[in-house]
Amino acid sequence: MLLPKFDYHEPGSVDEATRLMGEIRGQASVLAGGTDLLVNMKMGKAAPKHVVSLSRIEALRGIRREQGALTLGACVTAAELKEQEVIKTEFNGLCQSAGSLGSPLIRNLATVGGNIVTARPAADLPPALMAYGASILLKKEKAERLLPLESFFKGPGQTMIEPEEILCAVILNEPPPYSGGGYVKLGVRKALEISLVNIAAFFALDGPSGPIKEARIVLGAVAPVPMRAPSAEAVLMGEKPEDNLFEKAGNAAAKDAKPIDDFRGSAEYRRDMVNVLTKRALKLAYEEAKLREWRRWK
Amino acid sequence: MKTLITLNVNGRARDLAVEPNRTLLDVLRHDLELTGTKRGCDLGECGSCTVILNGKPVNSCLVLAVQANGAEILTIEGLAGPSGLHPLQQAFVEKGAIQCGFCTPGMILSASSLLQKNPKPGEEEIRTALSGNLCRCTGYQKIVEAIQSVGEREQG
Repeated sequence: MLLPKFDYHEPGSVDEATRLMGEIRGQASVLAGGTDLLVNMKMGKAAPKHVVSLSRIEALRGIRREQGALTLGACVTAAELKEQEVIKTEFNGLCQSAGSLGSPLIRNLATVGGNIVTARPAADLPPALMAYGASILLKKEKAERLLPLESFFKGPGQTMIEPEEILCAVILNEPPPYSGGGYVKLGVRKALEISLVNIAAFFALDGPSGPIKEARIVLGAVAPVPMRAPSAEAVLMGEKPEDNLFEKAGNAAAKDAKPIDDFRGSAEYRRDMVNVLTKRALKLAYEEAKLREWRRWK
Repeated sequence: MKTLITLNVNGRARDLAVEPNRTLLDVLRHDLELTGTKRGCDLGECGSCTVILNGKPVNSCLVLAVQANGAEILTIEGLAGPSGLHPLQQAFVEKGAIQCGFCTPGMILSASSLLQKNPKPGEEEIRTALSGNLCRCTGYQKIVEAIQSVGEREQG
């Protein structure tokens, strides 16, 4: 398959990249891992006049941990998220979601920034990032803004990003003590799969055995954008974490979901799976919370 | 407009002038005539175009040649040493892990990258490491056995 012709740009810094994006406003696509953009270009779904590669910008790589926050450069790959020690131990739900993305070969290319800006309803990373309360840093020439990730998505492939903006980083606050997150993906196969339903859950306890004082449940692939499950979260608040509470939250989440019928599965099936998988994601979150606490005292 | 790039392929620096819309896969196969790297789906689904780029296995159909400028690239042609086949290649022959052979270069490169991280992987780890490489002859069992046999040999 041939790629359409384009002018290729390889800025060496964020400043250079944002200046370039300003000059060629609206006619450029940003290239990070390429696992989505190049496929779309080969399939004839995209034919940008200019391609701006972020691969030479050192500042967009790497994970920085400072003052209780974690900054993921936009070009951090899914493989790095899956393998980094701090992600494994403090953000296990995110680690699991990164490990569910594509295949090992895709994970070595695909980036966290790319998985966000493409805004696929079934993408793996956004639900987990939203469950951990992530914000994103968008930059254009001489201006930048910080946005909660959950207000970024507008619809499939549609986001709040302006044509001249570049997503530069994802910022996560380190989870408080007595908290944990979990991620569950349902597909027909284990690799290279688009989720039928994917769910991330996070909650924080007010002490070693409860009650729950903060909860976020994010449902993927059951609405045009990854969505919070407000009534399921309300079920959890102020209660002790236990299996029958998680069961009630699953029931509530199934009512919150807005799935559609398509060739991957029916809306009814998806709704049932939201129920089951929310419960499982909450159990995983509780396991992680206990494990993090155990590590803290070890 | 063509861009001048240098690819370090199998230990040898290769200077090339390429159009930006050409993939690393195309340049390896057509300009450098390294046809061991296969073109299957060309969309990142099948893994037959696997190469090791700066130490990591990737789908070369999803990398622009210009993006790989300055990178170290290992293709299946660079895996065998002067003394003969790489132990993985030898094991694939011995265990009958090759049927039509189309997926084999990608399978072996994904496996070599796994063995570098983990010299004695379990079956589950092997299957996960190969999950981006499809074999349409469905000969997975013998492929897994071949990789396991190399892990065991190196321990022994």
